[in-house]
Amino acid sequence: MIARIASMFDTGLAWAAGFLAALLTCVVMLGIVSRGFGEPLIWTDEVSRFLMIWLAVAGWLMASRKRAHIRIRFFHDMLPTRLWGASEAVMQSALVLCGILLAVFGFELVRRNLDIEATTVPLAMSWVYLPIMLAGLVMTVQGAIEVWEAAAKAFSRSGSDDDQIGAQKP
Amino acid sequence: MTTLIAQIGAVWFLAILAGFPLFASMALASFAFVIFGGLNPSIVPQKMIQAVNSFPLVAAPIFILMGNILTAARINDKIVAFAQTLVGWLRGGYAHASIVASMIFAGMVGSAVADAAGVGAIEIKSMKRVGYRPETAASITAAAATIGPIIPPSLPMVIYGVSADVSVGRLFLAGFVPGVLMGLSLMVMVTVIARRQGFGREPFAGFGAIWRTFRDGIWALLAPVILLGGMFSGHFTPTEAAAVAAFYSLFLGFVVYRTLEVKMLPGILIETVETTGLVLALVMAAGALGWCLSVSRVPQTLTPMIVDTIKNPLMFLLVCNLVLLVVGCFMEVLAAMLILIPIMVPAAIKFGIDPVHFGVMMIMNLILGTIHPPIGVVLFVTSRIAEISFETMSRAILPWLIPLLIVLAMVTVWPPLTLWLPNLLMGK
Repeated sequence: MIARIASMFDTGLAWAAGFLAALLTCVVMLGIVSRGFGEPLIWTDEVSRFLMIWLAVAGWLMASRKRAHIRIRFFHDMLPTRLWGASEAVMQSALVLCGILLAVFGFELVRRNLDIEATTVPLAMSWVYLPIMLAGLVMTVQGAIEVWEAAAKAFSRSGSDDDQIGAQKP
Repeated sequence: MTTLIAQIGAVWFLAILAGFPLFASMALASFAFVIFGGLNPSIVPQKMIQAVNSFPLVAAPIFILMGNILTAARINDKIVAFAQTLVGWLRGGYAHASIVASMIFAGMVGSAVADAAGVGAIEIKSMKRVGYRPETAASITAAAATIGPIIPPSLPMVIYGVSADVSVGRLFLAGFVPGVLMGLSLMVMVTVIARRQGFGREPFAGFGAIWRTFRDGIWALLAPVILLGGMFSGHFTPTEAAAVAAFYSLFLGFVVYRTLEVKMLPGILIETVETTGLVLALVMAAGALGWCLSVSRVPQTLTPMIVDTIKNPLMFLLVCNLVLLVVGCFMEVLAAMLILIPIMVPAAIKFGIDPVHFGVMMIMNLILGTIHPPIGVVLFVTSRIAEISFETMSRAILPWLIPLLIVLAMVTVWPPLTLWLPNLLMGK
């Protein structure tokens, strides 16, 4: 069930990200073309920036889901398997904390900006801060799953490299 | 507050060495700073959003998109084919062709990752086919990819220009000569290594073949001319050039070469966001951390300290080179720039160093970090294409750093290499 939800989330996220990238490119191009015709559209720069925020967060989440964020693994990978699992669990717990902080204070930003409107488009500035709150939520859930996996590795009876669940020592 | 940021900075550095994800370590360091400093923690997500709420940064995903379109439409093949007929007859011709193709591609995309992923696959494949060791082929490709952000257009130059309040046009022109020198220095290195490793040479294909491959790839080869012409004639900004380039590559794929299909677009777009996401997450976190440094008056504290301690501008440049090379090993280029520009550029200006010259030097330093372990993003890309381990790739790249470091030293000590062209075309 969880795997199915995760798969649906990943597919939806990928399509949304692709759509954002296409829309962003078109809006920037529209700005150039409209200026070329002597009828510049005033909203293209601002909308591009807003799309950029959503696209950045979508990319961040896709990288998180694929566990592709840049890390220096050299020293960590020198640890024996159990210690590796334990330290991974600690790091993932810190990620959960980071996710919670982003979600809570992101929500604060969304709430405070409900009545503030963007300069060129009739859009509440809350929409600009909404992605960071969502990113915090996803990061929290993802981190919690990885804490579980890393802890399972640290406390597994054999502690060998063969009993991996998800958190993998390369 | 300066003491607080120093303590947090030390913990942060240990955390990244311990294997903590880079972007999250910066975000947590920022939260620690605002919480222990008695500030409102909602500043952190706000500064993270502000870091990407930037029109110049829009060029980042669009340049990557353009690279992905060119790769999917196999337009890069035409550039590589032209380069091979042009220099393939030299000893180590395939390696020379790889460098020339990267130099041409650098005039179309503004990022080293896009360059490596764009022409890297075909270059490495063709070098492996004629007997080059996979790690050698991948190293040549990775080293040549660093030319991407030096020859205009360049994403790091756009970001530097906006952050340091310097003309992006001047920066672009300043990158031409160093970019070409980087290419030539790598070609000299290929000549040296070709004799030792016994690289072969192809027979000269003749001027007819050069003309044919040129004519075949003319539309792709015109891209740099269109982009730079549009920017310098004022028709579009450097950021908008990325969108023009993306649409131009779509035009080439769908209309001119007909190698692109509509069903390929979703995959291209999704891959673009995936690649960009890694970088932009770092940029967002660096935005928050950079703000913490500003609030704790680190630039204001460090700049006079640097100027008082280091009296000589040349010594300052050498120290900056060392610092940037080390930082480049641990941080992504754009993220490092957002943090370091407010500290280094004011000091450089106090020493009377032209910010355009300093910018090119800074970008070259940080770009070298992309082909250097432990974080070398370009190394990751090329090792994956060549199907070799990151460790093998990390060892194999070392000799190729030498020519690039020599060019960096030349650019550092002799400002006319960067400033001659912008001064000539845009005045002093």
